Amino acid sequence: MSEVRIEHVFKRFGDVTAVNDFDLTVKDGEFVSLLGPSGCGKTTSLRMIAGFERATEGEIYIGDHCVSSSTKNTFVPPEKRDIGMVFQSYAVWPHMTVTENVAYPLKIQKVPKEERAARVAEMLKMVHLDEYASRYPHQLSGGQQQRVALARALVMRPGLLLLDEPLSNLDAKLRESMRFEISSIQKELGITVIYVTHDQSEAMTMSDRVVVMSRGVIQQIGTPYDIYRNPANKMVADFIGLVNFVEGEVQGDRVYISGTGVSFPNTSGVTGSAIIAVRPENIRMSRSGGTIEGKLTHRFYLGDAVDYRVQCKHHEIRVIVKGADLKEFNDGETVYLDFDKIMVFDRE
Amino acid sequence: MGFLQRINSKFLVISLSVLLLLYFVVFPLAILLYDSVLVDGAFTLENYREVYSKDVNWRALANTVELSLIVMVASVIITFPLAWLVGRTDLPWKKGYRTLLVASYMIPPYVGAIAWVQLLNPSVGYLNNIFKWMFNLQQAPFDIYTTGGLAWVLTLFYSPFAFITISRAMEKMDPTLEEAARVSGSSPLRTLVDVTLPLMAPSILAGGLLVFIAAGSCFGIPAIVGMPGNIEVMTTRIVTYVYMGDEAGIRDATSLAASLMFIANALLFGMTWMLGRKDYTTISGKSTRPNIVELGKWKWPAFIAVGLYGFIAVILPLGSILLTSLLKSMSKGIELSNLGFDAWIPVITSSQYMESVWNSVVYGVIAATIGTALSIFIAYLAVKTKVKGRNFPDLLTIVGGSTPSIVIALALVITFSGNFGLNLYSTMWILVVSYLVKYMTMSVRTIAASLSQVHISLEEAALNSGASWLRTCKDIIMPLIAPSVIAGWFLIFMPSFYELTMSLLLYGSDTKTIGVLLYDLQTYADTQNASVLSVIILLIVLVGNVILNKLTKGNVGI
Repeated sequence: MSEVRIEHVFKRFGDVTAVNDFDLTVKDGEFVSLLGPSGCGKTTSLRMIAGFERATEGEIYIGDHCVSSSTKNTFVPPEKRDIGMVFQSYAVWPHMTVTENVAYPLKIQKVPKEERAARVAEMLKMVHLDEYASRYPHQLSGGQQQRVALARALVMRPGLLLLDEPLSNLDAKLRESMRFEISSIQKELGITVIYVTHDQSEAMTMSDRVVVMSRGVIQQIGTPYDIYRNPANKMVADFIGLVNFVEGEVQGDRVYISGTGVSFPNTSGVTGSAIIAVRPENIRMSRSGGTIEGKLTHRFYLGDAVDYRVQCKHHEIRVIVKGADLKEFNDGETVYLDFDKIMVFDRE
Repeated sequence: MGFLQRINSKFLVISLSVLLLLYFVVFPLAILLYDSVLVDGAFTLENYREVYSKDVNWRALANTVELSLIVMVASVIITFPLAWLVGRTDLPWKKGYRTLLVASYMIPPYVGAIAWVQLLNPSVGYLNNIFKWMFNLQQAPFDIYTTGGLAWVLTLFYSPFAFITISRAMEKMDPTLEEAARVSGSSPLRTLVDVTLPLMAPSILAGGLLVFIAAGSCFGIPAIVGMPGNIEVMTTRIVTYVYMGDEAGIRDATSLAASLMFIANALLFGMTWMLGRKDYTTISGKSTRPNIVELGKWKWPAFIAVGLYGFIAVILPLGSILLTSLLKSMSKGIELSNLGFDAWIPVITSSQYMESVWNSVVYGVIAATIGTALSIFIAYLAVKTKVKGRNFPDLLTIVGGSTPSIVIALALVITFSGNFGLNLYSTMWILVVSYLVKYMTMSVRTIAASLSQVHISLEEAALNSGASWLRTCKDIIMPLIAPSVIAGWFLIFMPSFYELTMSLLLYGSDTKTIGVLLYDLQTYADTQNASVLSVIILLIVLVGNVILNKLTKGNVGI
C-alpha cells in the first residue's frame, strides 16, 4: 500500500495552465476524491499521477519512489508505477474474454499459469462476475464491464488505485450500488484510492477527504463534513450543496445584509464588502416574528420537503423545509425568514 | 390532404429511382452474367472453359491476383506506420503530410503511370539518367516495364485507400484501451502488439482489400506500364478482346469480366461482413482525447522519412510531368534555355484536342448534375423516411460503385447496343450513364451523411410552424445540406471528367474524351503532348479539389 505525495505540481499546455500548484499528500489506505466542474484540472492531475501526462513542474511520489520530477528529470512510465486504473469508458478490451482481460496484467508480469487462474477467479468473485468468466465484453452490460475494469485494475494488488469518473456512464440506480461496492472493496483491501468525479454526492459518500478544484487550483481539502459545513470560499460553497448568496457589509465585528439593518456576528475575518451565504435548509420561515420580511412567490413539492422561493427586496431566497406540508404557506403570502447558520466570504 | 400528397410523392420518388437504377445498373450486369453462361440458349460453363483454356488468359488472371496481393501487402506495410505517425504522434507538419499522403487519390491513375514511365523507363527515364550519372553506371538501374515496376506504380496510387481506412480507424479507437494496457504493466511496443493491432485488424484487412480490388480493377496503369513489357492483366485482356470487335472477342471479354466481377464482389462482401462485426464496437467516454505519443529523438528522422515518401509518391511524378510539358525540345537536356511554353501552344490551339477537353467537361457536368439530383432523393429516402425498401436504391448505387469500371462498360456495351430496344452506342449518353453508375455512390454517401446530421425535430419544427413538406425542404433542409450537395456534385464531376477505362470502350468518333485522347497520345509515344494534357487535367482537378475542400472544411475530397 502506498502513500502518494504530489508536491507543487504544475501542468501547462502552451499558455494555458491546466493545473496550478497542486499540492497534496494522500495517506496510505486513504480514499481521496478530486472534485470539481469539468475543465477544473482534476483529470489532468490524475493522469499526471498515472504517468499519461508529464508534469511541467513539481514532483510526484508513489510510496518511496519519485515517479516524476521536473528538476531531477525523472519520469517513470505508467507501466512501471505499480498502479491500477479504471477509466470512464471502461476500456475493457473487446477482443479478449472477461478472464483474459483480468489476467492480462498477470500475464505481463509472467505470473505462473495456475497462480494466474486462481487470482483471476478470486478477483472475479470479489466483483461478482465469476459466472461471466468466459464472456466477451459485448455480451456484458455497462455495469458488468465496469466491474471487469475494476477487477483488472486490482488483480496486481497495486499500492494505488486511480479511478477516472468510473460511474458517469452508468444509470442512476446502478451508480449508487456501485458506489457502495467500490467503497467496500477499498475497505476490504485497504488500498489507497484517488477518485476523480464531478458528482458531489459521489465524492461525499465515498471519500475520507475531498479535494475541491476549480480552474486548475485546489480550492479546499477537507473531510466531506468540513467542505459542506465550512467551505473555504464562495466557489466551494456554491459547488457543494445548495446555497443562497446575498451581498453584505462588514462593520466592526458584525456583518450586515446590504441595505438592511439585519446583521449577524462575523467570525470569518472578512472585512469591508462581503458575501453572506446561507443554505436553504438553514433558514426558518414563519408568518410573524422573523428578521427578514419577504413575499412567497413559488412553491415546489419534493415529497420529503417543500422548496420555496421568497422575494426579499432585490434578492430571491430559496428555502427548503423538511417534512413540511405544501399547504402550510400560500403563494403571495408575506413571510419572515431567520438565517440560522450563515457563512461570510470575500466578494472576490 | 397534405399528408397524402407526401406519401404519394415519396412513393413516386422511390419507384422512379428504383426503376432507373434497376434498368441502368442491375439489368446490364445481369445480362453480362447471363451471356457468360449461355451458349445457343442453354446454360453452360463452356465459355469460361474456353477462355481459360488459353494460356494468355490464365497468365492474366495469375498476374492480376499476384499484383493485387503484392500491392495490398505493400500498401498496408507502408501506410500503417504512416497513419500512426500522422494520427497518433507529435510528428511536425502533420496536417500538411495528411493532405500530401492522400493527394495521389486525386491524380488520375494513368497520369501517374505516364509520369513514372517518364521517370523510370530504361532508355531515357529522368531518374535512371540521374542514377547513371551519379553512380557512373553503363545501364539504367530500373526498368518500369516489369512486374516490379507495375506493382510500384499501383502501390503509390492505391495505398491512399488503405491510408484513409487505417487512419480513420486509428482516430476512432478509444485511447483509454491502450492506456489500460499501459497501467497493466505493458510497454508501448507490447501495447501495440497486444491491443492496438488486434483491435485494428479488421480495418487493416478492410483497407488492404480495398487496395486489392482497386489494383485488380485498374486498367490505366497496367495498360501504360504493363503492356509495353508484355505483362497482361484481366482488364487489359478484356479491352483487347473487345477491340477485336467480333462476336468471339465479346464472348471471351464477357467471361473474363464476369470472373473479375465475381472476385471483386466476393471480396467486398467479406470486407463488409468483417467491418460489421459487433464485438469490436466499444463504448467510449465523452472525454476521449487523442493519445499523442511523443517521438522524442525520433521526431526529426520520422519527419524526414514521411517527407521523403510524400516527395517520391506525389511531388516527383507531378514534377516530372510538368517538366516534360515545359521542355522546348525533348531531345535536348534539362536546362533553362530549353524551358518554355512552346509545347503548350499546339495543344491549346488544336481544335481536335480542345474538343475532347470540352466533351469531358460537358459529360462531367451532365453526369454530376443528374447524379446529384438523384442522390438527394436516394439519400433522403434512406436517411429520413421509414418507407419499406428505403435503403434499396442506395444499395444499388453501392453495387454500381463497387463493380470494376471495365465490367460496367462491357455490360453497357452489350445491353444498350440495340439488342434490348434502347440503343445508346456511340452517343454521349452511354458515357454519362456509365459515369453515373460508377460514381453516384460517392455523392449519395456524402449527402446522406450530412442529411443524417439534420435532426428530424428541425423538420418537425418547420411543419409545426405551418410550412408544407416541400417548403420545409426548401427553407430548412436544402440550406443545411447545401455544402454537401455541392461536394457531391464535384465528387461525380471530377472522376467523370478524367475517366479513362469506361470511356475507352464506350466513346464514339464524336464523343472522344480527354482520358481517351491522353491514352492515345501515350500509346503513340507522343509524350510531350500527353504531358501538356496531363497538366491541364491536373489543374482542373486541383481547382475542383480546392473548392471541395473549402466547402466541406476538408472532410471530403478525391
